[in-house]
Amino acid sequence: MKPHNIQFTLNGEKVALSVEPSDVLLDVLRGKLGIKSPKVGCDRGDCGTCTVLMNGKTIRSCLALAVEADGSEIVTLEGANSRKWTQKLQKTFHAKNAFQCGFCAPGVILSATELLEKNPKPSAHDIKEAIAGNLCRCTGYEPIVEAIAETAKGK
Amino acid sequence: MDLQKLIAKPRKGARSVKTGEELTVVGQSVPRVDGWEKIKGAAKYTDDLEFGPGLLYAALVESPFAHAKIKSIDVSKAEKLHGVVKVVTGRNFTQKFGLYMNDRYVFATDMVRFVGEQVAAVVATDPKIALRGAALVKVEYEELPAVMDAVKALEKDSPLVHPDLKSYTHVPWFFPKPGTNIAHWRKIRKGDLAKGFKDADLVMEDTYTVPRYAHCAIEPHSAIGLFDASGRLTMWTSSQSPFTQRHVFAETLKSFGLSHKDVRVISTYIGGGFGGKAGVTMEIIAAALAIAVPGRPVKLLWSRAQEFYNTYQRLGCTAKIKMGVSKAGKITALDFKLHWDAGAYVEYGANVVNAAGLSASGPYKVDNLSIDSMCTYTNLPPCGAYRGFGYSEFLFGLESHITRMARELGIDPVEFRKKNAIKEGDTLPYGAHMNPTGIMDAIERVAKEIKWGVKERSKDPKKAIGKAQVCFWKSPAMPPNASSSAFLKFNEDGSINILVSGMEIGQGLLTVMAQIASEVLSVPVAKIRVETPDTDRNPYEWQTVGSHVTWGCGNAVKRAALEARERILDLVQRVHCLDKSTLYLEDQHVKCRTKPDFALRFSDFVINGIQADDHTFKGGPIMGSGVFMPEFASAISDPETGQGGHPNVHYTTGSAGIILEVDRETGKMKIKKVALAVDCGKAINPDLVRGQIVGGLLQGFATVLYEDMRYNEKGRLLNPNFSDYKIPTVMDMPDQVVPIIIEVAQPDGPFGARGVGEHTMIPCAPLIANAVEDALGVRIKSMPVTKEKVALAVKAAKK
Amino acid sequence: MPITTEFEYLKPKDMDEALHVFSLYKEKARALAGGTDLVVHLKENLARPEVVVDIKALQELSGLTLKEGTLRIGARTTFSELIDSKVIKTRFPLLWEASLTVASTGVRNRATVAGNICSAVPSADSAPVLAVYDAEVLTRSLKGERRIPIAGWFTGPKRTALLPDEIVTAIELQLPAKKHAGCYMKLSRYDGEDLAQGGIAALVFSDNTYRVAACALGPTPARCPKTEAVLSGNKLGEKLLAKAVETVLQEVSPISDIRSSKEYRLHMTRIMLGRALETAVARLFGKGPKYGTGNIC
Repeated sequence: MKPHNIQFTLNGEKVALSVEPSDVLLDVLRGKLGIKSPKVGCDRGDCGTCTVLMNGKTIRSCLALAVEADGSEIVTLEGANSRKWTQKLQKTFHAKNAFQCGFCAPGVILSATELLEKNPKPSAHDIKEAIAGNLCRCTGYEPIVEAIAETAKGK
Repeated sequence: MDLQKLIAKPRKGARSVKTGEELTVVGQSVPRVDGWEKIKGAAKYTDDLEFGPGLLYAALVESPFAHAKIKSIDVSKAEKLHGVVKVVTGRNFTQKFGLYMNDRYVFATDMVRFVGEQVAAVVATDPKIALRGAALVKVEYEELPAVMDAVKALEKDSPLVHPDLKSYTHVPWFFPKPGTNIAHWRKIRKGDLAKGFKDADLVMEDTYTVPRYAHCAIEPHSAIGLFDASGRLTMWTSSQSPFTQRHVFAETLKSFGLSHKDVRVISTYIGGGFGGKAGVTMEIIAAALAIAVPGRPVKLLWSRAQEFYNTYQRLGCTAKIKMGVSKAGKITALDFKLHWDAGAYVEYGANVVNAAGLSASGPYKVDNLSIDSMCTYTNLPPCGAYRGFGYSEFLFGLESHITRMARELGIDPVEFRKKNAIKEGDTLPYGAHMNPTGIMDAIERVAKEIKWGVKERSKDPKKAIGKAQVCFWKSPAMPPNASSSAFLKFNEDGSINILVSGMEIGQGLLTVMAQIASEVLSVPVAKIRVETPDTDRNPYEWQTVGSHVTWGCGNAVKRAALEARERILDLVQRVHCLDKSTLYLEDQHVKCRTKPDFALRFSDFVINGIQADDHTFKGGPIMGSGVFMPEFASAISDPETGQGGHPNVHYTTGSAGIILEVDRETGKMKIKKVALAVDCGKAINPDLVRGQIVGGLLQGFATVLYEDMRYNEKGRLLNPNFSDYKIPTVMDMPDQVVPIIIEVAQPDGPFGARGVGEHTMIPCAPLIANAVEDALGVRIKSMPVTKEKVALAVKAAKK
Repeated sequence: MPITTEFEYLKPKDMDEALHVFSLYKEKARALAGGTDLVVHLKENLARPEVVVDIKALQELSGLTLKEGTLRIGARTTFSELIDSKVIKTRFPLLWEASLTVASTGVRNRATVAGNICSAVPSADSAPVLAVYDAEVLTRSLKGERRIPIAGWFTGPKRTALLPDEIVTAIELQLPAKKHAGCYMKLSRYDGEDLAQGGIAALVFSDNTYRVAACALGPTPARCPKTEAVLSGNKLGEKLLAKAVETVLQEVSPISDIRSSKEYRLHMTRIMLGRALETAVARLFGKGPKYGTGNIC
């Protein structure tokens, strides 16, 4: 099959590479571009660990073909680490020991960043809705939800 | 939401902690040492590790049948595919392996025993090519009759899953019955059962069933292996048990010239274990493949579907209980028969059966007791360690039954539990004695929190509110010689590196170890690094399972810290001629009680030594090592009665209660409030204990409310994905969770600590079943207790 | 998990170009919008196309507009766009409510309504809602355009009236003139994201007319005309409700599968219909739970 040359912005930098049409975006980010924060969790978009921002919105990168990234802006946690809301969230998560094994953390943090950038005064329900697609098996979610709420309140 | 802590008065005989000194670090919710790494997305898990462009990938050929003879395997087409480097089958690896019993194969050899069992593997330069190659391998099978039910597996004419059971090696405290599907039969016979039933005013018998469950750690299993030119096998695995894995690899592959020193296992952070990453499952395949392609690293990454059907599952259990109770509310007799569906290979699962068999009477004083815990082979995926290790499974029946009997006798179910609760010193099912326990405080606290005894009504007329409270206990299930060890060394700036092989699976082990060392050595946690295991560099740890590493590894770390402290004090005594008994450590200095102006900074001497008056240097790098093995534990007992050993090092006890709102028509259940009190001896880091309580409760409630494994009649798992095996989302949180920490010191634990981790999911199932009965008057005796079951039970009861 | 099938990928900017590919390849071509169904099928070898046509550059397929009472949902419109749209929230709250029950934010940011009805699983959440709005599916091929009423769209489980050389361009529905309110009741195994084990969409009008449709309770999502006939012209009361919930049982044919049993689905059909109607009526009078709440059973 004809490989496609694609170009996109990854965490603020231009990248160019050749991919096959059947290459999955998550696999290309991890395998060809060395970006490890989005994870392989379930292969079907059910767990949210593969979450990245594409053109400003969270998507499940395990359900996107790499070719679809052509001309787009992709941000992973490695790039989001410098965003205002991400940093605020991270400070609170750290202080509250909100994560345990940490595997769900990059996906949760991007979902929470998307929420607060769009809606800095979310309700309790808004917060839950934002991370409802991020599965966590360790924490029972409570410290994560509390941390997002505290971050929004500016504590 | 604040943690409630109840610090009980120290019991007589319990060693008090730091005499006369306040603990400054232990007992604090310090931030996790691995926090920033994980929050910035920098933490590396096994699949994140890079091995360069030469990395090979593997894909499996798996059995479509639950029980079949392998007649032939044709790998020729697969081998010819461009990019395929090697195809491996059971022909190349015939040695059996296992943890407690050697009944398992690297690849199926002549027989397959469950749907999904690995028959061959294709190693290729690209994951897609490996998968395409696997599809080209042709296997011819002769299907055989299979058995999918643990009770049917006991029938005379049942197919035998392991006809050669007699020849299998196993630990001496297992009792397989060759010629049957019984892999192990743990018996407890204590007191006089017949008399106990005669003395009862009420005898009740019933059966409770618990199906299999999946761990669903969000990180799938992965392993990379490299067998290099020096004859050394290095494995990078997502494992709770690097040393146990090393042992299994070395033993199973010794025909390839490997000894333990030649096998190195490196485990980084794990994305959740819950017991599923303990022992050895898919990693042995990666090790075998590494041997098959020497000089090249090969990776095996499990898909989510394989996570479901080819890693350990939680055993299924059919529990028959017959209990006798006096009208005064005392348990006079308990006859408990547990039939376990342990799957096609029980090398780990048989120990779950053993552990449950030793403790199925629960945290109660039962003088006349008979337990039969039978481990049965079936043609379903192998079962093994899962958070709770058999205790959730027996507690569902036990605590359901207790509430039913109490109600039948007109006794308050919580008062009943108080009357029968086990006390320190009471005789355990196998003859040894109970450790200190705060269970009475736990019961009282929880009852208060859920306003036990006060009937509540829902604001919604369609709904009813029910309450329930139960007790739980668990002990680590380990071999009697399971040990922990630690190395500790200072650096020039007074910071510390600690090397342990206890694994960070999310529970916060690294942080707790740092806190223990910090308390002993007065070095702040921020100046301590605790490294994840590398069997070359870090000293031995049996496994990170059983909720025992705070206790076991913590004791080892404390000993290592104490040894380092001794060396410091010895050195200062020697050089400065100060009596050791007057010296103490504070703020990273050595100070002297009788010389208040003496303060020697660690960074001045912990590497370089102390300069004496004659300008020579004394001392050198300050280090310490610590080993902990429970030398009082023993597993040998009478096979017919279970009496005589001391197999369980200690029990952690507690109580939990819920307020449950149930929709009468739909059966939908909502947990309005759940309170759980656990006696962890000493909460070294209360935030982390809270993490186990909140996380464990949700995982536990999920098993009872909506996790539901479905097999077809041919033994194929029908829902190996999150679309149809539902694990909790943030939407499924209980409305309110109240964690309560109780601290009745464990005399042999570091700063009085004993384990807590598994315990918090154990009470969930009977809580729901009892609360549903309290709310709606229907009793559900099989898990999961889904809303569908509740609604249809209510409907049937109306008729 | 990698995709082992090899296929060509095209992203046409021109509608004719796209239609030529479908005309040539027919069943061997698949349209890619959000990919939240297609990529799963590619991974599991349930779809083995020779060419994948990315429709996200086709201008004709974009847009979410309400003009002179006609709502046009372009084929590229995602569920997130529906949820974020003030027009949908205020004028088509039933569609808004159903959209919120689909998967999660990260999936809804890509998944399209058109894709939902093309995948045509019996549990598609948008389906019963589009049915009670009497929506029409607009398709186009080189041969021309078609307007297919939603009632004729679903022909079987995962089967639609879409021809192999066609693509869906938009879905259109009329804003009902009379005052109305609705409710989408969804049967789920828990509170998190789930595929419906049963779904009832109800629209109730101020002139006592009713529209009811079901999903996941038969081989295709469909309207319940017998139930509607029983209800029509009458004010909702206890007796009428009792009759309606008995009637709807004749119009659904649920099965037992790994998600739920036939018995429970039938039991819940009555309950969900009753609650959907009661909620819709309450909302008609400005009471009842806010849209997007209280509708997961």
